[in-house]
Amino acid sequence: MRVTSKRTQRQRDIRTAYLLLAPTVLLLLTVLAYPLGWEVWASFTNLSPLQEQAAFVGLENYRRQFEDPQFWKATAVTILYAAVTSVAKLALGLGFALLLVRPFRGRALVFLAIFLPWVYPAGVSVIGWYWSLNPPIATAYSIFLGQLKYSVDSVFGGGAWAFGSVMLFNIWRGSSFIGVLLLAGINAIPPELFECAVLESKNPWRRFRLVTVPLLKPLFALGVFLSLTTAFADLANVWMLTAGRIVFPVIGTHAYWLAIKAGQFGPASALSLTLVPFLLGVLLVLFRIFDPVERDAA
Amino acid sequence: MNPKPWWAKLGHGSLMLLATVYCLFPIYFMLVQSLKTPEEDVFGNPLFVANPTLQNFEELFERKSEVRGFVGDALLRPHPFFVWFANTLFVFAGSVVATLGVSVAAAYALGRLRPPGFRWWRRAIFAAYVIPQTILFIPLYQVMITLELDDNLLALLLIYPSMALPFCVWMLSAYFQHLSREIEEAALIEGASRATAFFRIILPMSRPVLVAAGIFTLGTVASDFMIASVFLLTPVNQTITAGLGTFDVALDELAAVAGVNLLAIPVVLFSAFFARGYVRGLTAAMVEGA
Repeated sequence: MRVTSKRTQRQRDIRTAYLLLAPTVLLLLTVLAYPLGWEVWASFTNLSPLQEQAAFVGLENYRRQFEDPQFWKATAVTILYAAVTSVAKLALGLGFALLLVRPFRGRALVFLAIFLPWVYPAGVSVIGWYWSLNPPIATAYSIFLGQLKYSVDSVFGGGAWAFGSVMLFNIWRGSSFIGVLLLAGINAIPPELFECAVLESKNPWRRFRLVTVPLLKPLFALGVFLSLTTAFADLANVWMLTAGRIVFPVIGTHAYWLAIKAGQFGPASALSLTLVPFLLGVLLVLFRIFDPVERDAA
Repeated sequence: MNPKPWWAKLGHGSLMLLATVYCLFPIYFMLVQSLKTPEEDVFGNPLFVANPTLQNFEELFERKSEVRGFVGDALLRPHPFFVWFANTLFVFAGSVVATLGVSVAAAYALGRLRPPGFRWWRRAIFAAYVIPQTILFIPLYQVMITLELDDNLLALLLIYPSMALPFCVWMLSAYFQHLSREIEEAALIEGASRATAFFRIILPMSRPVLVAAGIFTLGTVASDFMIASVFLLTPVNQTITAGLGTFDVALDELAAVAGVNLLAIPVVLFSAFFARGYVRGLTAAMVEGA
């Protein structure tokens, strides 16, 4: 008798669970799954707003894309962008977190300062960044920044300054997010562990390497993943900070250009989907590291 | 422990200073520019403002001054800034509430009710981040036309939650999963329903994590530029983000920077108020129940 009531309770729980998941599933299906399906379909056709009918072209878009030197350039720039920003964000974020771990006078204020770049609404601050770094007419700092810009561009080639500013903006904002995330992670480590570690070893570097780093691994993994996805999908920031004059295209901007300026929805879809399998692979590996662990095995 | 030697203190202090300046300088710089008169913008010191004025902020609401002196009336475009502000508030608040509601429901299901394969459910939801937003707005626009939501703020209320939802579900369900079973059981044995136990016990105690999820959502929503500019066309339907994107570079520079600050100030104050709670909530999601 008790067994059956327990089972019906479980069944009821499962039904409730599906009911509670329904809004999430519905939302993701409408806003992500359908558009993604459309994109996959479009990537196999020559769909374009410039012609009436779309014809099925199979893998032609993908084949042509891999022969296109522009694609390889965009891929290389994207990888460089993602790698540089991810490494810098993690390093700076870890630095911030370690600075803030121990109490000191004024910690709350420094914490607030480190928290602000991420909170400051990026959708608009990117406009401010653009106009600060590429001052429009004769502002007081135009000459200085202009000289900086041309000296950077003359060393690394035209467009380098704009691309550098994109990276700088990404790092500025991301290191704040990752710093706070890692700080929360360090706070989550039971203090006893640190006390034990102090007894075990006098060397703070050793303690850091053997206690802090392994326990923070899940958060590093999470940070890397979020950083990679933002970098790979970045379009708006690159577009805004370069005013659409893109010398160093990333995959996002190249796809946007193909779709909107050239009206080729097929190749653009193929291009923006190219990185999905890669990211999915990375995610599957990282899930092993940051999946929440089962504590109460009851 | 021994007191720190002076050089360690000095090193620590200067690192603090460096970190603070690095984080705040861009914000400070934008604030300073927005307080300048056009004259000072050209001839003044870029790092300071000698005669702070709010005229750029006023200009957002009402065009009074001649733009740079000689440009004709045609370019004196008034901005419906109050409307933009109200729209922005509506979209931000609405997205946060919607995201929290939807993700708490899903997270409770995955973290406590645990349907078969709940781990994979959660992973699948998180995997939404793999999909690049790049040109997704083209099919999304079709969806919004079908739903008759194009050029409508509700379109953003539908899209924004999907950007923050995966992370929120992840965090909240990890928190719910780590809570020990006994917390609810006592109430359930007393004869309370699961819903009562949830609203009376679990929801109140998960406040810090809800704060963290809310701040994360706000940060994500406020960082969007693309979606707002694509989906909101007529000025009366725009948010500040979309509206500022249409400003003319040469003419509206100072006013635009003022607009940036005008949006930033409430968001920043709100987040600063909850900053500690944000860290506490993230921490709680990682350890609670231990």
